[in-house]
Amino acid sequence: MNAQFKSTILQDFRKTAANPVNVSLQEWKKSGRKIIGCMYHYIPEEIITAAGMLPYRMKAVGSKGTELSESCFTQINCGFVRHLFDSGVRGELGFIDGLVSVNNCDHIRRFYENWQKKIKTPYMHFMPFPKKSGREQAEVYRKELADFKNSLEKHFNVQITDTKLKKAIELHNETRRLQRELYELRKKKNPPITGADVHAVMVASSSMPKEKYNTMLTGLLEELYTGEGISDYSERIMVVGGELDDPKFIEVIESQGCLVVADSLGYGYRAIAEDVDTDIEPLTALAEYHVLKRPACPRIFGTTFNRNDFVRHIAEEFKVDGVISVRLPLCDEWSFEQVNLIGYLKKHGIPHLTLDIDYILSSTGQIKTRSQAFLETISGTKHGR
Amino acid sequence: MFVAGIDLGSATGKVVIMENDRVASTVVIRSTASPEKTAALAIEEAASKIGLKAVSDLEYIVGTGYGRSGVSFITENISEITCHAKGAHWLNPGIRTVIDVGGQDCKVISVNADGKVIEFAMNDKCAAGTGKFFEAMARTLDCSLDEFAALALRSGNPCSITKQCSVFAESEVITLINNGERQEDIAGGLIDSIVRRLLSMIYRVGAVPQVVLTGGCARNMALVKSLEVSLGIPVIRTKEDPQITGALGAALFAQAKALIQNK
Ligand code: SF4
Repeated sequence: MNAQFKSTILQDFRKTAANPVNVSLQEWKKSGRKIIGCMYHYIPEEIITAAGMLPYRMKAVGSKGTELSESCFTQINCGFVRHLFDSGVRGELGFIDGLVSVNNCDHIRRFYENWQKKIKTPYMHFMPFPKKSGREQAEVYRKELADFKNSLEKHFNVQITDTKLKKAIELHNETRRLQRELYELRKKKNPPITGADVHAVMVASSSMPKEKYNTMLTGLLEELYTGEGISDYSERIMVVGGELDDPKFIEVIESQGCLVVADSLGYGYRAIAEDVDTDIEPLTALAEYHVLKRPACPRIFGTTFNRNDFVRHIAEEFKVDGVISVRLPLCDEWSFEQVNLIGYLKKHGIPHLTLDIDYILSSTGQIKTRSQAFLETISGTKHGR
Repeated sequence: MFVAGIDLGSATGKVVIMENDRVASTVVIRSTASPEKTAALAIEEAASKIGLKAVSDLEYIVGTGYGRSGVSFITENISEITCHAKGAHWLNPGIRTVIDVGGQDCKVISVNADGKVIEFAMNDKCAAGTGKFFEAMARTLDCSLDEFAALALRSGNPCSITKQCSVFAESEVITLINNGERQEDIAGGLIDSIVRRLLSMIYRVGAVPQVVLTGGCARNMALVKSLEVSLGIPVIRTKEDPQITGALGAALFAQAKALIQNK
């Protein structure tokens, strides 16, 4: 199951997603411009873009171990922060000039504190993110964003005007619009691109200058519109989860004959479903986007019903036969979410499988067996096997 | 028309050859380092038992188990979860819960009246609660697997063993040996600890009677008994060796596929 592509655009996206550093990032750096590491959702990357810098979503793809993290974390910290910290200590993320984080979970807090102590990036900023979704909370977050903007301006001696912010928002909205266009193609009976490839395209957007990314994605979309669709697949699958940045895990699922056509992932549809408002004051628009507008992850209280609806809505719209939800072991946010999802999807008759996967995929036999058995179970219902 | 199912597990390779809905030949051999070689050896032995010339005499071969996807002469592969459900259902259509304890993993499968999988749970990567665990513990107690089961059956007062990781459980066992605990009670304690681990998975899927234990470890009667006590329901015994249930399911799929192919 592989669509043929004339150009090398997709390969470039794949390469970008498979490595912590990429060519465009190096070019950016060489030209003397700055890169700010982001941890991880809910960071208003547009402010960084408006400052003339590159927002880089922190990732540790290709990490080989967590030995150097062990002394700083406890046994209950998730693999994501451990691998990331390990890469940091090894200097593999040394290209970032700053790090900005929200208190997404306690694991990230610990990560931030350890980074501050041991790795010491020249610029560091922490923004408490509201626990709840509401107007009042959006107002509080707006103040945080203003603080962040001021501190960036002060530290890097730049000016972030409203005009620059508006332009940055438009640029990022354009990325989201193009990505949604990509998702539209997956609704087809024979989508022209695999789920693993879409994931690579999505992950790549987090470590490239947006202008260049948009041009490349426009090129890819042109090819996809005229390209052939994939028909040799069995079931249509949706993947749900958090900050999974390795397209390989989708590749493993798809190796069992299905096609992943939709998702609710941190790097996926949740990040692009909505645009940031361009008609109101930029910081308010950004705060409202993150606190009120975009589909939330389980970290934010009071959003479960919306999120469940969101999953069901996408499952219907993309005509999926089943949902696979993934979680990193020890991630408490997504543990609760798994329990919620199992019950919800059962109630609505949507077949569901939960998978625990490590941040760095090593042995994939278990994932394959579970996915295969799940697909057999669905096709059993579909074709009466 | 002869068809075969091959279950290539981490510890053993199993083959079932069927002819017209009847089990014609079964074989269990130890796995080699290559699934291809294990499959060839096992199928050859099973075929020669009934005077067949191996692969060429078989209409359809379905593979299952962790080595299922790498064998050249397998026509199709189906996951062990689906195969265990199918095999168990054929042996006894009343079965609703299959607990498969194999060499390196264990699964709990809930099955409907047609033998189809409704839901399943599976252990994660580590080998706790599987054949590998039993092998390691038998080694620590310096006995064979059969002796280990026999010891456990004689235990009147099983020790409490909390560690389920093979490495940590081993040091717990060594402490118990040094404390002068009886071998029987240590073995009994180990069996109970595994059953507790299985229970957490069983409760996720539900233990709807009738319940059957499949896989190599199902031959361990101490495990069967302890499970029955914990669940408070009987674990049924099947007429075929529980270890071949997966291969049997694969053979049943092979039979159905061959029929469609020959239509
Ligand atoms: S994976 Fe879960 S525990 Fe780890 S950083 Fe993300 S939300 Fe926190």
